[in-house]
Amino acid sequence: MKLNRRDLLRAAATAGALGVAWPLAGGLSPAQAVEAAEELGASYDPAPFTLGVASGDPTPTGVVLWTRLAPEPLAAEQQLPEVVEVRWVVAEDRDLRRVVARGTAPASATLGHSVHVSVDGLQAGQRYWYAFSALGRRSRLGRTRTAPVGPVSKVRFASANCQAFHGGYYAAHRGIAREDLDFVVHLGDYIYEGGPVTGPRGNGTAEDFSLGDYRRRHALYKGDPSLREAHAAHPWFLTWDDHEVVNDYSSAGGGAPFLQRRAAAYQAWYENMPHRDGSDATLPDPQIHRVRRWGDLLELTVLDLRSYRSAQNLPDGTILGARQKEWLKQGIDRAPDAWHCWVNSIMLSQLRGRPGGGFMFTDQWDGFLSERKDVLTHAHRSGLEDLVVITGDWHSAFIDDIRPDFDDTSSPVIGTEFTSHSISSNAYSPAWNAANGPRMGAANPHLQYFEGNRYGYDLYEVTPERWSTHLRVIGDLRDPVSPVSTLTTFHVDRGTVGAYEDRATKNSPAQYRRD
Amino acid sequence: MNLVVNGDAEAGPGGTAEPVHSVTGWRIAEGAPALIGYDVGQGYPSVSDPGPAPRGKRFFAGGNAPRTALVQDVDLPAVGPTGRGPVDAGRVRFTVSAWLGGYATQEDGARLSVEFRDATGTPVALAVLGPVTAGERLARTGLFERSATAALPPGARTARVLLVLTRAGSGQSNDGYADAISLTLSADKGKP
Repeated sequence: MKLNRRDLLRAAATAGALGVAWPLAGGLSPAQAVEAAEELGASYDPAPFTLGVASGDPTPTGVVLWTRLAPEPLAAEQQLPEVVEVRWVVAEDRDLRRVVARGTAPASATLGHSVHVSVDGLQAGQRYWYAFSALGRRSRLGRTRTAPVGPVSKVRFASANCQAFHGGYYAAHRGIAREDLDFVVHLGDYIYEGGPVTGPRGNGTAEDFSLGDYRRRHALYKGDPSLREAHAAHPWFLTWDDHEVVNDYSSAGGGAPFLQRRAAAYQAWYENMPHRDGSDATLPDPQIHRVRRWGDLLELTVLDLRSYRSAQNLPDGTILGARQKEWLKQGIDRAPDAWHCWVNSIMLSQLRGRPGGGFMFTDQWDGFLSERKDVLTHAHRSGLEDLVVITGDWHSAFIDDIRPDFDDTSSPVIGTEFTSHSISSNAYSPAWNAANGPRMGAANPHLQYFEGNRYGYDLYEVTPERWSTHLRVIGDLRDPVSPVSTLTTFHVDRGTVGAYEDRATKNSPAQYRRD
Repeated sequence: MNLVVNGDAEAGPGGTAEPVHSVTGWRIAEGAPALIGYDVGQGYPSVSDPGPAPRGKRFFAGGNAPRTALVQDVDLPAVGPTGRGPVDAGRVRFTVSAWLGGYATQEDGARLSVEFRDATGTPVALAVLGPVTAGERLARTGLFERSATAALPPGARTARVLLVLTRAGSGQSNDGYADAISLTLSADKGKP
């Protein structure tokens, strides 16, 4: 049934929105919500695989395949049998003829009719294609890759973060989908839990509290075809930040109402992500942190900076939690000779707003000073080399030297942090960036670069000799097919510390450069 | 048959508000659980407060840690009317139930989750009960029944039971309470 335009506008008015109804506004049927989403540029794959397919957590022998049956993607619960049998197939070719693995998996209503298939027995360093079928239909084709073992001459991957649906179209994900990549890392803020939002792609007020709310939110976001395309094109590693639950949350001391909400958000996240849960974990509390290797070239340490943190600004506060901190330090002690990349949702480096001023945000590591110093001092004393931290959250690009003590300029540089532009979440205004870029540069001697006027993703090309980060940016958030270009590139040479900008792009626009 | 061992907190050390170092049938994953007697008093739930009937002598509580977690891994039956054959044919249902609660207007709470897994350890179904909020308890100290039932997916082989007891805010006592934890399977005669 087509949505009546007058009804749509009435719903928009009810929701306090301008122009077009917000798809998650109250009072819309699931079909009407889809119509409203389509008005905002969403589209969905044919039912029941409306939300597409994905793969994640590649290892040398396997990968997790994901899909979710959602004939009505914006319904809190699907009108399906309690359990639906889903078939899956993995092949060496895109026509799915050279099949290497196949099977069935149950899609249970208790997990939102999602399917997570842990495929094992694959060959290392190989590309594979996969698809699902259920209810007489076949999903779109997905492409994935296993991790290599042994000597690796190059790895190429991208990071994405902060993708507010209302903020704009996912041209950046379209770019990621089209890159020749080994994998994608998502740094968090995959969804925004709501409240009043306004942007180029819609205005809404609905806020998520229940499992049904968060399921619908994830389904709205996956309505952007470029996000589904990026999931289908590459395997992903995942961490999360705050907006998968609620802004700036800490679970420490949280009461029963908050913990109900957090459990709903965590479950919906699991249901909608190609996540392989840790064997020691138990839903609805997934275990995110893990170490993965890409041959002998790259050690990827995925951190969870949300699940176990204390409140901010405590003398003995923790952003990692005691167990994860100990795990991280033990990993540092055992680190192989490789590039060490920490997947870090929220800024590690110190950031003062102006000389002599306070920290800009203490929700980031600046609110956990003692722990940061302890971890980075441990990394330094352990002789950890070739450390690169990739970060999201800030909606702007920063490049920082990492020092165990950021207030002491004689403290050694032990690595580089690349904080990436957002996919679509709004940044500060150009005027703010122009005024504050130089202020932040003056206040933070370790800050090397700041650019806040653009949106996109970071692309990393890593060889045994050099790490290169390309800042890939789109032209216009309002254009779903906005082309992608490289704003600038920074390199880190193996065995040395500190990033340097590529000569070819050194004159590109930025609001601060140290050199 | 209840597949959870010591779901009623009646076995093993305990009986006072003091934390215990081991809990029969459970692994202490985090914190400091207490198995408190209904006769302890001191504001803890008593036989006259809301709770299961019959309720035995003791219930689970969070002790003196901000977060206490107990885990129990359950092998689902291999044979019988709820064994692997009927499970894989889609003819078995599960029911998870527990009495969960807290103290007066405080938002300390208890959450019970059961994750059903296939032979590779991948989750195939999930039940989450609670935590019961002070509002849902109408600010009464006590325990209140929560339950969930659903089809057990084909391939399910094990279940991991996780009881999490949490303290809201500061203070000493973690007043998340739980009792009468149960996981049962039943042969599904057909569509309900």
